[in-house]
Amino acid sequence: MASSSSSGLTFKLHPLVIVNISDHYTRVKSQLSLPPSLTSTSSAATSNNNNNNSNGGENNQNPPPRVYGCVIGVQRGRTVEIFNSFELIYDPSTRSLDRSFLEKKQELYKKVFPHFYVLGWYSTGSDAQESDMHFHKALMDINESPLYVLLNPAINPAQKDLPVTIYESELHVIDGVPQLIFVRSSYTIETVEAERISVDHVAHLKPSGGSAATQLAAQLTGIHSAIKMLNSRIRVLHQYLVGMQKGDIPCESSLLRQVSSLLRRLPAIESEKFQDDFLMEYNDTLLITYLAMFTNCSSTMNELVDKFNTTYDRHSRRGGRTAFI
Amino acid sequence: MEIEEKQAEVIDHFVKQVSAQKGSALGSVFVEATSHPSLFAFSEILAVPTVAELEGTDNSVHLEMLRLFAHGTWSDYKRNSGKFPQLVPDQVLKLKQLTVLTLAETKKVLSYDQLMRELDVTNVRELEDFLINDCMYAGLVRGKLDQLQRYFEVQFAAGRDLRPGQLGSMIQTLSNWLATSDNLLVTIQDKIKWADTMSELDKKHRKELEDRVMEVKKAVSVKTASRPILTSKGSMKSTLNLVE
Repeated sequence: MASSSSSGLTFKLHPLVIVNISDHYTRVKSQLSLPPSLTSTSSAATSNNNNNNSNGGENNQNPPPRVYGCVIGVQRGRTVEIFNSFELIYDPSTRSLDRSFLEKKQELYKKVFPHFYVLGWYSTGSDAQESDMHFHKALMDINESPLYVLLNPAINPAQKDLPVTIYESELHVIDGVPQLIFVRSSYTIETVEAERISVDHVAHLKPSGGSAATQLAAQLTGIHSAIKMLNSRIRVLHQYLVGMQKGDIPCESSLLRQVSSLLRRLPAIESEKFQDDFLMEYNDTLLITYLAMFTNCSSTMNELVDKFNTTYDRHSRRGGRTAFI
Repeated sequence: MEIEEKQAEVIDHFVKQVSAQKGSALGSVFVEATSHPSLFAFSEILAVPTVAELEGTDNSVHLEMLRLFAHGTWSDYKRNSGKFPQLVPDQVLKLKQLTVLTLAETKKVLSYDQLMRELDVTNVRELEDFLINDCMYAGLVRGKLDQLQRYFEVQFAAGRDLRPGQLGSMIQTLSNWLATSDNLLVTIQDKIKWADTMSELDKKHRKELEDRVMEVKKAVSVKTASRPILTSKGSMKSTLNLVE
């Protein structure tokens, strides 16, 4: 069903939308996996959307619930920028969309963000399905060409890029019948400063509370990846220059000048003063670690001696006391 | 690199002019080019075929002058001033700026004495004015001036035109850099592995210790279960002793 889009629109997706969708999905999923007595009452009442309720005991064996919602943003010319999203109540079995809820939400968002329009809708799952087309058509009266953002909640550690796809609908003639089908479009991620800070924060959150070794490993891994990127870029420059020397690539003096000025910065810090300062700081750190270790050892020793004294003192006086063990 | 962007248009302009004209007319174009305040790169102009034709003809003096501006310094000019035509003050300034760039190529820390010698400047004040106004504000160099220790520390210097042999040395430097960063990556990887193994060992050691503590605790509780018999005997003995 998905081929590449030809509409020429560029899409920009904000991380807030992705976080919202995954949060919605996680909430629903965790509510569903509550003990069975609570499940039937809580999920119907509190979850924002109706899913196929699993009966009691089978929590993880049913297909994961699908969540639905709306994405809002701005469209300027050919660029569509998706800023935010909110949840919707939709029942796939009856195919009923709660319109009043949608309109109320729209009004509320319009008050705070007057420029945002409903650009489309989102859902979770691994691939776009036929049934999604009904929801898509239902939204077409709000926006003539809505977007469909699909998040794949399955965690795949080998996957390098985001499991998010954006689909548009196009009218294609299939077997003589014009039909709306989903076509995949590419998108870029655009961040506001606040989003960048929070995503960065979450990314570094993992090793908190870990032992010193894992924190060290995490920091080293960060440095490692940074140097790897630098390495790949130097390699590119190197190959370019070698190619130029062999004559495969025509010489471009402006680039060569820039490279030479770059290389001149190279022994970046080499003076004697740097060596002195560096060694001094290194020695200081070692000394402090040594001191801390000493203190640790002496306190452990102290405790050991105390314990030794208590146990072996009692030995001599045991005869005169009643057993109070 | 802003200087390259600023120069790009000027270079194009002059290349067009040079390819349109020939012979002695080129001489005046060269003078114009070398006096232009934002132009510091001449290898594109040198590459134009009409310029190369000047070699060996009467106008080769102009070509030599252009080559001087592309690769040479102020001291080169002073030593062989007969070979080159007279320079206008703008050109003198430019040649001095280019000299600073060449000096920055070799060393990162340039002493005031050396700079004063190379640039024919007698006092420090003039030298500093020259460096600040003509080199730093023009965007050619960035660095720190240390007046007390009388040196100029270069952090960034724009590139000059490449001499033919320089490409090889640049490639060498790049490959060294590449090798160093590769080694560094390997070292970091090893360190990460070391950190992980050490934490594993530590956890194992801790677990063993806790297991031993549990065992000893169990053994002690077994002993205390059988001990009340002993202590009651002991207390009987002690009461007997006291009575006695």
